Amino acid sequence: MAEHTDPQTDTGEGRVIIRTVGLKKSYVMKDVVTEALRGVDVEILTGEFISVMGPSGSGKSTFFNMIGALDSPTTGRVFIDEVDVAQLTAEELAYLRCHKIGYIFQSYNLIKYMTALENVTTPMAFGGVQPDAARERGMGLLDLVGLKDRWHHRPVEMSGGQQQRVAIARSLANNPSVLLCDEPTANLDLHTGQEILDILQRLNKEKGVTIICATHDHRMMDICDRLMWIRDGMIDRIARRDEVHVEVGGIGGMEE
Amino acid sequence: MKKEINVADQPWLGFSRIIQITVDGIRYRLFRASVTVAVIAVAVAFLMNILSESLIKRSVAQNTRDRIHRMRLIHNWSARLTSPGNPESLLDEFARSEVGSDMYREVAGMNGFDEAAMKEFHDHAGMAVSYLDFFNALDYAKRRNLIHTATGIGIFTRLMDKAAMKQFTEGMKNIRSVRFVSTYPELDAFLANWEGEQLKLKAVLDARVQAVAEIDAALAGRTIAEALADAEGAFGDTIRGAGFVFDAENIAGIIAEQAQSELDVTRIQESMDSYACKQAIARRENTLPADVNVVLMWQNVDSLRFAKEYLACMVEENEKAIAYQQKMKELDAAKPTEEATAATDKAEGKKDATEEKDKGTRLDVEGLTAERLATLAGARDEEASLIRAERLTVGAGEGFMGLGERLAWLLFVSLLVCGIGIANAMLMTVTERFTEIATLKCLGALDGFIMIMFVMESCFLGFVGGVIGAILGALIGLSRMLAAFGLNFAGAIPATDIILAIVASVVMGMLLAAFAAVLPSFKAARLAPMEAMRIE
Repeated sequence: MAEHTDPQTDTGEGRVIIRTVGLKKSYVMKDVVTEALRGVDVEILTGEFISVMGPSGSGKSTFFNMIGALDSPTTGRVFIDEVDVAQLTAEELAYLRCHKIGYIFQSYNLIKYMTALENVTTPMAFGGVQPDAARERGMGLLDLVGLKDRWHHRPVEMSGGQQQRVAIARSLANNPSVLLCDEPTANLDLHTGQEILDILQRLNKEKGVTIICATHDHRMMDICDRLMWIRDGMIDRIARRDEVHVEVGGIGGMEE
Repeated sequence: MKKEINVADQPWLGFSRIIQITVDGIRYRLFRASVTVAVIAVAVAFLMNILSESLIKRSVAQNTRDRIHRMRLIHNWSARLTSPGNPESLLDEFARSEVGSDMYREVAGMNGFDEAAMKEFHDHAGMAVSYLDFFNALDYAKRRNLIHTATGIGIFTRLMDKAAMKQFTEGMKNIRSVRFVSTYPELDAFLANWEGEQLKLKAVLDARVQAVAEIDAALAGRTIAEALADAEGAFGDTIRGAGFVFDAENIAGIIAEQAQSELDVTRIQESMDSYACKQAIARRENTLPADVNVVLMWQNVDSLRFAKEYLACMVEENEKAIAYQQKMKELDAAKPTEEATAATDKAEGKKDATEEKDKGTRLDVEGLTAERLATLAGARDEEASLIRAERLTVGAGEGFMGLGERLAWLLFVSLLVCGIGIANAMLMTVTERFTEIATLKCLGALDGFIMIMFVMESCFLGFVGGVIGAILGALIGLSRMLAAFGLNFAGAIPATDIILAIVASVVMGMLLAAFAAVLPSFKAARLAPMEAMRIE
């Protein structure tokens, strides 16, 4: 695992919050075995903003699900703050997902029949926050993403960008340590996508939230600390942003 | 180094919040929810309809039995007071009456049996009746083979003989198709006591003969109905004096009234002898007087207006008859005088002329009113409706839950179909909400919460559907039964039972819906979040 880890960050910003060891995942469909991940070892540090890039079908999303404790690996382990996810009970997993990890999806995944505020306060309710406190905090979070005056709107009454902003507010509901974003800007136009990126960057810088972002969006490169390329279920390359900038001419070729 | 992530167990979500989320979800998918509700409502309505109808039928059957028993009190008592009965009928009557009932006390009172003797006699009567039933159910060949030609209590007399007993037991061995109602040692023990019990039975019969003789003497030429009209007065005392247990408070009044009604009915029906009365009805019915019968008369008299007319007609007939008789008497008185022969001849001619038209019919109209006529006609209607109800409720209360086998089976199938329908609806709801389930799990929902959410949703739909269906079914059942039996039986509707049945049906609908939802929701709750999203 050491070969992929940048020694500089290891000693610098913080300690390891997510670590994977020999992560493999294969899907069996009838007789065909598809290997989505073929041994991934990676360490992610607290306070980092890391972009995971790669072509479609490279295993990017699978990797993302593994480290988010949303799916179980075929072999290998995922440690979240040195806790082996495979060892957790269903209740502990729920607690982990509720309190420690925030999820942002490409398709927003807001609950359709809840208002923006209810969407934001639902994870708080799951986490045992009292309704009044949850409401107050929910309004604060909506304010953070600039949607305070639209708290009573349902998802169908909002644009894609607004929905994604509600989703970000929701992911922050229980002050998570890690924010997992699965292509958060893919369904949005340039301007709205930029807004989302700005919010993510602000969160990372101001609140020190660890952000792991699977993306195709090249603008992400400007704001992240590290970039990780995945190809054919393997880590192709990990680089700090400043290193990438040096080779900026070659990026297009690498990205395909 | 302090760990940033301390994993603990996720707390449970508050119940009110679960309900709120569930209700919001239902409201968002109102159309689908209402279709599911409709499926449940139809099934529960079917269940409730059958349940309420069978409940009403059972209640009406009981009501009818009671009312018919009441209606026939006069007949039962007329028979009891005029005929002592035979040993078998006495045994039967006594064996089927409960300890402490009127009949039981009557037997004790007439014979002066003490409690122990009564108990023994009652037990033996019960056994004797069951044996007699057994023998009476046999076909002729078997019966002849087993007990030759003995009948009634003669069977016991015959079986007391050793040889006859042997013939019976040997015969039973050869008959495979019939099982003896009891055991042979029991029969032996019964027969050993029978001699004493038979003496008791004879004493009872003698006492009854004595009592009937007393009553007969007290009748003094009256018919039993005429005498019973006075059941509340002196005749009631006579009955009690003869040793019968005749309840002065409850029965006497009813019997007196029924006896009076019977007498009145006879008096009114005598009007059918009168051509003029027949004619009155024929006019109303637009038919020939010759076709008018008692039934037609009662049908018409049911209307108070016509009853008045008819009564007037009867009174007129009676007056005519009285006048005619008066005239006859006068003529008869005048007849013997010689000098009036010519006049008599003249009068005879006159008599012939008036005879047919003015003879009239002697009718006893004393005390009769038009209201009385209409009431008696109404009572006849009631009797007819009771008999119809008795016919319609044959077999009510039998079979599974009093439904009868075919209905129970239908009910089972309908519940099964409904269950599958709900399961299908829930499966679709769950499948269509995989993304939502996955999202909720990402947000920290427990598996239990997901399950409870769906089961509760299903329960809720089941409850609404159940309430709608139960009320609908009960109303349909109620109106159908009222249409079948008539308003006459409105009092026999078991309101408490029906409300209980409604509650039971609602619970049934909820349980059905909950059960149907368990499997899909279990499946949904167990999915890993990403698997669920991938399926979508």
